[in-house]
Amino acid sequence: MPPKRTPSTSSTRKTTRGTAKNDVTEEGATSNGVAPKRAAPTRATKSKQNGDQAKIKAEPNEIVMAENGGAVITNTPTTQSTTSTISSSGTRGRKLKKPKQGQSDIANSLDERVEKLMEAKKYKPKPKLTDPIPTLEDKWKLLPSFLRVKGLVKQHLDSFNYFVDVDLKKIVKANEMVTSDVDPNFYLKYTGIRVGRPERMDAHSADKSYTPHECRLRDLTYAASIFVDVEYTRGRQLVRRRGVVIGRMPIMLRSNKCVLTNKTDKQMAAMQECPLDPGGYFIVKGTEKVILVQEQLSKNRIIVQEDSKGQMMAVVTSSTHEVKSKAYVYIKKGCLYLKHNSLVEDIPVVAAFKAMGITADQEISKLVVGTDEEFYELFSPSLEQAAMLKLFTQKQCLEYIGKRVRISRRFGSIRRTPIEEAHEILANVILAHVPVLNGDFKQKCVYIAVMARRVLQTIIDPSLMDDLDYLGNKRLELAGQLLSLLFEDLFKKYNTDLKINIDKVLKKPNRAQEFDVFNQLTCHSDNITQGFVRAISTGNWKVARFKMDRAGVTHILSRLSYIAALGMMTRISSQFEKTRKVSGPRALQPSQWGMLCPSDTPEGELCGLVKNLALMTHITTDSEEEPIRRLAFALGCEDLNTITGEELYDHHTYLVTLNGLIIGASRQSQKFVRNVRIMRRNGRISEFVSIFIDDARKMINISSDGGRICRPIIIVENGESRVKDHHIRDLLAGKLEFDDFLRLGLVEYLDVNEENDGLIASYTREITKETTHLEIEPFTLLGAVAGLIPYPHHNQSPRNTYQSAMGKQAIGAIAYNQLNRIDTLLYLLVYPQQPMVKTKTIELIGYDKLPAGQNATVAVMSYSGYDIEDALILNKSSLDRGFGRCQVMRKYATVIRKYANGTYDRVLDPPLNPDNTIPAKFEALDRDGLASPGERLMPGHTLINKQSPVNTTGEPTMGGGFGGGADEYKPTPLTFKYPEPAYVDKTMLTTGENDQTLIKFLIRQTRRPELGDKFSSRHGQKGVIGLIVPQPDMPFNDWGVCPDIVMNPHGFPSRMTVGKMIELLSGKAGILKGELQYGTAFGGSKVEDMSKILIDHGFDYSGKDYVTSGITGEPLAAYIFFGPIYYQKLKHMVMDKMHARAHGPRTVLTRQPTEGRSRDGGLRLGEMERDCLIGYGASMLLVERLMLSSDAFEVFVCQECGYLGYSGWCQYCRSSKRINSLKIPYACKLLFQEMQAMNIMPRLVLEEV
Amino acid sequence: MIAEVPTIAIDMVEFLDNTSVLPDEFIAHRLGMIPLTSHDVEKFKNTRDCSCDQYCSECSVEYTLHARCDGDTPISVTSRDLVSTDSSVVPVLESADDQGILITKLAKGQELNIHCIAKKGVSKEHAKWSPCAAVGFEYDPYNKLKHTDYWFEKDPKAEWPLSDNAKEEAEKKYQTLPDGSDAPFDYNAAPDRFYFRVETVGSMKPENVVIMATRLMQEKLSTLEICLEDDQNPNANQFSNDLGDSMEPW
Repeated sequence: MPPKRTPSTSSTRKTTRGTAKNDVTEEGATSNGVAPKRAAPTRATKSKQNGDQAKIKAEPNEIVMAENGGAVITNTPTTQSTTSTISSSGTRGRKLKKPKQGQSDIANSLDERVEKLMEAKKYKPKPKLTDPIPTLEDKWKLLPSFLRVKGLVKQHLDSFNYFVDVDLKKIVKANEMVTSDVDPNFYLKYTGIRVGRPERMDAHSADKSYTPHECRLRDLTYAASIFVDVEYTRGRQLVRRRGVVIGRMPIMLRSNKCVLTNKTDKQMAAMQECPLDPGGYFIVKGTEKVILVQEQLSKNRIIVQEDSKGQMMAVVTSSTHEVKSKAYVYIKKGCLYLKHNSLVEDIPVVAAFKAMGITADQEISKLVVGTDEEFYELFSPSLEQAAMLKLFTQKQCLEYIGKRVRISRRFGSIRRTPIEEAHEILANVILAHVPVLNGDFKQKCVYIAVMARRVLQTIIDPSLMDDLDYLGNKRLELAGQLLSLLFEDLFKKYNTDLKINIDKVLKKPNRAQEFDVFNQLTCHSDNITQGFVRAISTGNWKVARFKMDRAGVTHILSRLSYIAALGMMTRISSQFEKTRKVSGPRALQPSQWGMLCPSDTPEGELCGLVKNLALMTHITTDSEEEPIRRLAFALGCEDLNTITGEELYDHHTYLVTLNGLIIGASRQSQKFVRNVRIMRRNGRISEFVSIFIDDARKMINISSDGGRICRPIIIVENGESRVKDHHIRDLLAGKLEFDDFLRLGLVEYLDVNEENDGLIASYTREITKETTHLEIEPFTLLGAVAGLIPYPHHNQSPRNTYQSAMGKQAIGAIAYNQLNRIDTLLYLLVYPQQPMVKTKTIELIGYDKLPAGQNATVAVMSYSGYDIEDALILNKSSLDRGFGRCQVMRKYATVIRKYANGTYDRVLDPPLNPDNTIPAKFEALDRDGLASPGERLMPGHTLINKQSPVNTTGEPTMGGGFGGGADEYKPTPLTFKYPEPAYVDKTMLTTGENDQTLIKFLIRQTRRPELGDKFSSRHGQKGVIGLIVPQPDMPFNDWGVCPDIVMNPHGFPSRMTVGKMIELLSGKAGILKGELQYGTAFGGSKVEDMSKILIDHGFDYSGKDYVTSGITGEPLAAYIFFGPIYYQKLKHMVMDKMHARAHGPRTVLTRQPTEGRSRDGGLRLGEMERDCLIGYGASMLLVERLMLSSDAFEVFVCQECGYLGYSGWCQYCRSSKRINSLKIPYACKLLFQEMQAMNIMPRLVLEEV
Repeated sequence: MIAEVPTIAIDMVEFLDNTSVLPDEFIAHRLGMIPLTSHDVEKFKNTRDCSCDQYCSECSVEYTLHARCDGDTPISVTSRDLVSTDSSVVPVLESADDQGILITKLAKGQELNIHCIAKKGVSKEHAKWSPCAAVGFEYDPYNKLKHTDYWFEKDPKAEWPLSDNAKEEAEKKYQTLPDGSDAPFDYNAAPDRFYFRVETVGSMKPENVVIMATRLMQEKLSTLEICLEDDQNPNANQFSNDLGDSMEPW
């Protein structure tokens, strides 16, 4: 059914809004006095001369600085050309150790000394004309290109795409066969799986494809069918079927299965979708749900840490598709033990070695120790212990272990001897990710040996302990991985259900027709569909196999503002317990540099546990291991089987690991690493494969697993950036894309570990010949939300954090389709403006197109005393002209239900008064019984005159019987409850899931700022309106410009938000010059330039103005810091919070007043207030507050028995002789009765006072 | 000048049809902000003083606006589309080819049909009635009265240029002495010249605003004077109370 009276189409809406906004901005500016367009400057406020002086004073300094800096840069290449060029990886390796003697190092130290000299003496060599000018200034242009290719939420999309395209197939492949216990000839095999396009489920629709927006409006799930290809036996026949639907999978918006991918803005508009919306979320039952990124420790890696007793242990969480388990190697009383869940008791490591076939002590110690004397001493007790336990042969050890295996009493499992048991456990359960092929335990032995060695190593040198908070040891789990876990579980369950059903049917001795499994296939599909929907809509992730039970995985996408939605998509939640009082996981880790935003984290209990991705961060997906393994061997990695223990730990030998698995060793580590990198830069292996040397542990680690955090960086070689000016020019001309830079080997992705292996310069001028990489742009270390702050590098850091939290509460534009949405609650600003002082991030994320705030002219001065404690003074005329005006849209929805007995809800036209007028309550209703758009709603008005049948279960009794017949209806209207009047914006009639008629109303309210509404600048400086002053009383400058906001200067000294001052300065300069200024982090418009603009336009360089008081008409005694600052209106408004009551509802049970504004509750006189009254001795006031005004109750007490009586009668004594009446709180009476119910007898003894 | 000089602005809007993207309140607010030529404000009565029931031609001007887009390109509805009942009170246009102030845009099939009533009012009540956008003000360009002291880095004389208003101060007594030294400070001096820099929104001429403002001021002062006189004359008390009811509340 089409929506009722929708006023317009979306494409036109977009254009209209855009222009309207522009125009108003202009108008508003003029009237607010920010930019007096028509006014010619009549007088310079401060002298030009004054400014010139300042300029002269400032300039020499500046020149010195610039030239000095320039000299450093220009000089570098010259120094370099004299030194021999050495390989970048060569220096890289040496960097961690002591510098070795060599030509390069001498040159290096020389270089350093020259630099120091120049810094110390401000030595300024004459720049040569021939010197190259290192520009590369526009290298940040790579960033928009990157974001264009990848989008803002690339991590979610990549992950989901990987799941749908690759992982799904792997899961099906691993579970492809379904057989029957009854009929051995029967089998069903899945030969393929794919996910279709999103389609609606309505039975009668001709065109099945639908848009996400339709799902939002109709409360549907945006999902696509999962098709499988199957092959099965039907009697003697083999049947192949393609495209059998086994369920529906929710589709992530903008993923490659979504209808929105690769659509132009115009097509998006036609689908009522906002082109700026990042996607990356799901729509389940009409609500937008985000699967948050989960942070956890990496799997399959050896991590050495200290246990609670201070002993060293090496832990590995091995995770394969089948099992997930933890194995520990730790040292106790000098001996090494192996611990695993499947073992009842920890076993000596030596026993494990021997059980795996390495029985000679010599061989074991070589494997663990090598030739190191120091290690040998630590290890020998373990060998002795094994001998003491009489564990010599493999058989003895297997038996020893076999006896300690935890026996799973699973039904139907085959009984095995202890030896078999031990063999099985060692091969397939302990360290399951290390493969044991054909009984070859060598790899596993080496693995355990390395674990043992790492423990010993850490004992000798505790600094080798792994840092659990180090980002390189972390993996991020995204929507794709979580869904794949869920799907695997659901699919397995589907198959077991299928098997049970098949068995059931096949058991029947004689069937009417040949059994065709196809019918069974389709009838179970609801389980998978419902499983997905339930998990995503509740956020409870339950995977029984892995004992996984997580709550709060999904969240409703916050649509408070565009930034809130965007911030949600980049959020990372940590698995760490928030109650534990350890600071480690909460602290800012140096390895987060450039990967996670240092500013954007909540305050309070989740501080530091919830993090946000930085702008350029990318999260990897799994890539194939096999080609990398082959490449490693081809590049000189030696197979483990060919190496003895002694060689393994040889001085020059580095172990090579692939995703935590030891695959071999390399004797030429530097060359090996360099070669792998060359292969990667040439595109021979995935760009997300990382390789780095761990010198301390003598390992080369190659990773290709998913969930690693990485980011693109420019490659530097021989002290020169590989990206050259002409590349950037081609980029700007559109000849090159970001991916081309990757392909050409100019830019590469580095993950956290590999980043540590390089030397990254932040700026071109910092490049030395040791530099391996160059940042694309330093400001990308901030995330999308913190990127809004102008000049964040001038602010005290907590201020940026506060703003990151508040930016999400700002009211503004939400999306281009905001007026087509029907959300539960939607806040919109009437005239949003893009900030005068922008940042590059703002342009990149589109905040300038969907802003949330207005440029207010601010005077930093004291005014009236209503501005203490951060309160703001607002100009009344500015409010009249639309400053801070916002719209609040609310949804009211109802369903016209059909009931089991055939009855259904009905909607009636408004009833009439006897005099044929419509009662006030039903005024807003149209003749169809629904409120019509444009109607004004007062509190208590009805939105829909709906009635429901009284009897919904029994048989409908036609003709109306006695009492409660099915044709009797009770009114179930929807009433408008809010205290302020509002208007009906839209009425929508449609059908939701299961063909239920769905009616939604959108209610609109326009609010003008009032006393107590909350505003904030972009620097963590929030404040409420303290006073609204008429414009004539406001201070004004000699042009007559009045401030919109007066802010108290006390906000500055303790907060140290210098960025805000610079924002004002730049904003003012921007207005005078008629252009937008930049406040990008670590860059942006410079204060000197801004001052110059101010001077050129006849203003003071410091941004201060000569101001006349509006009250006295005299000039103010001080010069006022005066100019535009971007202010956000926050969602906390007085209208939603104001509450008071005289008398009102009470709770049923205790008869005490209800609690909370929504229930018209009372205001609590709490414990502390009570204490005050007690302390003061105001006992009668106490009685009044706590009893008389709350739940006073008159009881009758029998003095004979002490029980409560009733109406002057004691039922216990059966008399009314000694009954007294008494006033006590009802809650007290309730307590007595509850105690009586528990066989406790409270007796009241009354005394005469 | 900002607060009490009356002008005419749209005060009530009746929506007959609005299928544009902007909600009713939004459009009503925008209409209110449109400056209307108010040279003849005087001839209108305040609605509250008028004898009519709701509004009449003596206290208000009516406008209608009916626009509908039937073409494929969206059209702009501007202040030019407002049809007035009184030719002397029309939306302000800067020049003949002024496009007018944009109210909203309409896409194909959208329609806006409204009826507006403009009334006389003062900006004390709402800023839409303000004839001025900004009013600059100065009274002592040479800082003779020493109401302020100039902040300076080295030399206040060099750093602070005289404003244009200083040229007006031809008479000796307003200036500093020619040799640069200040005249002896006259602490009894009171400002007696005031310079205004008036920027209007177009509904009135700046000079008219100033004239009207001074007249209003005079009226107020004379009312005050009468009241004070009455106060001092006890015989007139009876009379003044009678008068008090009909007087303006200020």
